[in-house]
Amino acid sequence: MKAFEYSSPTTPEDALKDLAGPGTVEALSGGTDLIGRMKDYVASPDRVVYLKDVKALAGIAEKSGGLEIGAGTRLVDLSADPIVRKRLPALHQATVEVGTPQIRNMATVGGNLLQRPRCWYFRNGHGLLGTKDGKSLVREGDNRYHAIFLTEGDALFINPSSLAVPLIALNAQATVVGPGGERTIPVEKLYQVPKSSDDRELTLAPGELLTKVTIPAGEVKNGFFEARQKQSHDWPLVAAAVGLKMNGDTVGDGRVVLYGVAPIPWRSEAAEKAIRGKALTRETAEAAAAAAVEGAKPLSMNGYKVALVKTTVKRALLDAAGDRYWEEA
Amino acid sequence: MAEQDSRTPTGPGGHSRRKFLRGSGLAAASAVLTSQAAVAIEEAQAEAAAAEPKLLSGEAPLTLKVNGEEKSCTVEPRSTLLDTLRDRLDVTGPKRVCDRASCGACTVILDGDPVYSCTTLAVSCKGKTIETVEGFDIGEGGVPHAFHQHDGLMCGYCTPGFVTACKAYLDKNPGKTPTLEDVKRGLDGNICRCGTYMGVFEAALAAAKTMKGA
Repeated sequence: MKAFEYSSPTTPEDALKDLAGPGTVEALSGGTDLIGRMKDYVASPDRVVYLKDVKALAGIAEKSGGLEIGAGTRLVDLSADPIVRKRLPALHQATVEVGTPQIRNMATVGGNLLQRPRCWYFRNGHGLLGTKDGKSLVREGDNRYHAIFLTEGDALFINPSSLAVPLIALNAQATVVGPGGERTIPVEKLYQVPKSSDDRELTLAPGELLTKVTIPAGEVKNGFFEARQKQSHDWPLVAAAVGLKMNGDTVGDGRVVLYGVAPIPWRSEAAEKAIRGKALTRETAEAAAAAAVEGAKPLSMNGYKVALVKTTVKRALLDAAGDRYWEEA
Repeated sequence: MAEQDSRTPTGPGGHSRRKFLRGSGLAAASAVLTSQAAVAIEEAQAEAAAAEPKLLSGEAPLTLKVNGEEKSCTVEPRSTLLDTLRDRLDVTGPKRVCDRASCGACTVILDGDPVYSCTTLAVSCKGKTIETVEGFDIGEGGVPHAFHQHDGLMCGYCTPGFVTACKAYLDKNPGKTPTLEDVKRGLDGNICRCGTYMGVFEAALAAAKTMKGA
């Protein structure tokens, strides 16, 4: 990796000063993404700002019924949190499934949300769109782990954050500080679909710092299910998280969010519409699963993801309903 | 490898932690003119002396606490903990295999937690406790002994990482009797290409039993 200058601020204020540059700057936390990218020369920053000494960025706290999770909170601490385990099983489940014990000891919530895509063309220096001589390497090459939605565009990678999916289902808000002050945006607005190879998939401007995510107060029935090739080490192939505000026995307002299918965490509006006003039965879950795959346009090697979307949406909904039928017998 | 970096360290805005701490030391001295003041000044001065330059760049001295011993060397900020341990401090238990946080052969215990040393910067480990396989008890009842007794290795390259991950797992779950499933989950950050997983899991279960009995 290229040499860089290194700072280890201890306050968010100092971190912001250090993130301002000069030169290209990368924020380092758990390092499980950035250090690999630097070794492969996909990232070669002039300066690295180490954030784990900023103790104010870590920790989980209940505030007026909602839950604030510091961006520097390690995944191992998030997975051990009793409130998350009890009230937010979707987030708990997604967290315990990340990587390995070593990864969860190192990685942080902010780092998970802001990790760069794992697309092998991007990781081999062909940019976010994975193009060479004007041609899409993704479309013509091995695209088994790529997107099945928005594939008429040029961005074919998938968003790599499996925590973004339950957080969006739970309507979490992200707090971002920067030279211009503080702003709060829905977690889904941390991401965008890049239009050209110069665009980024993250909306954070250079010099900005994600400080925390806040899950608002209010009862939300939630569930999560992921399909994976290997039990550990790997990212899920497809995962679904649901967050449901109930009106008695029927779904009032529900969110269905998918991992592994698009360059952004994918909210399935069709599935959300299919559950609105309905009781959480197996029939509702199957209808939502069928709706969730509407409009999917797989690439040459990832048609299998369509079936996985159906299964994960159905099971995430029934997980929220407490009907884990696949664990029976 | 990339070229040496010759940039000189410069801090933004002309601030430095050292200056700030010196200033706060003086403030403390004028505010508390008792015997405690002397202590306050001493503490502030000690902290200021220990404070690093705000930006590290190029080779710089670093002291790490490895297996209870303070070990010093010079490293660049880009040096991983693994390379620093192996190439600068002659601590070669942790192995360099995938070098991408995937295989676990480089596992060390950092402040009680198993981590991948190949994906941790050495400079970020200052002041932390680092344990490697070299520091473990190799007598009966220890994890290395259990690996030996249960044939938990074939080529042996993954073994230090597995032993370290196993020790960390058992230390974090004292007094428990883990199931095979628990041990699989606890050790799933390590890979053995020879496939001696059954021996590894048996060793872990046996070590858990001995430690519980101890």
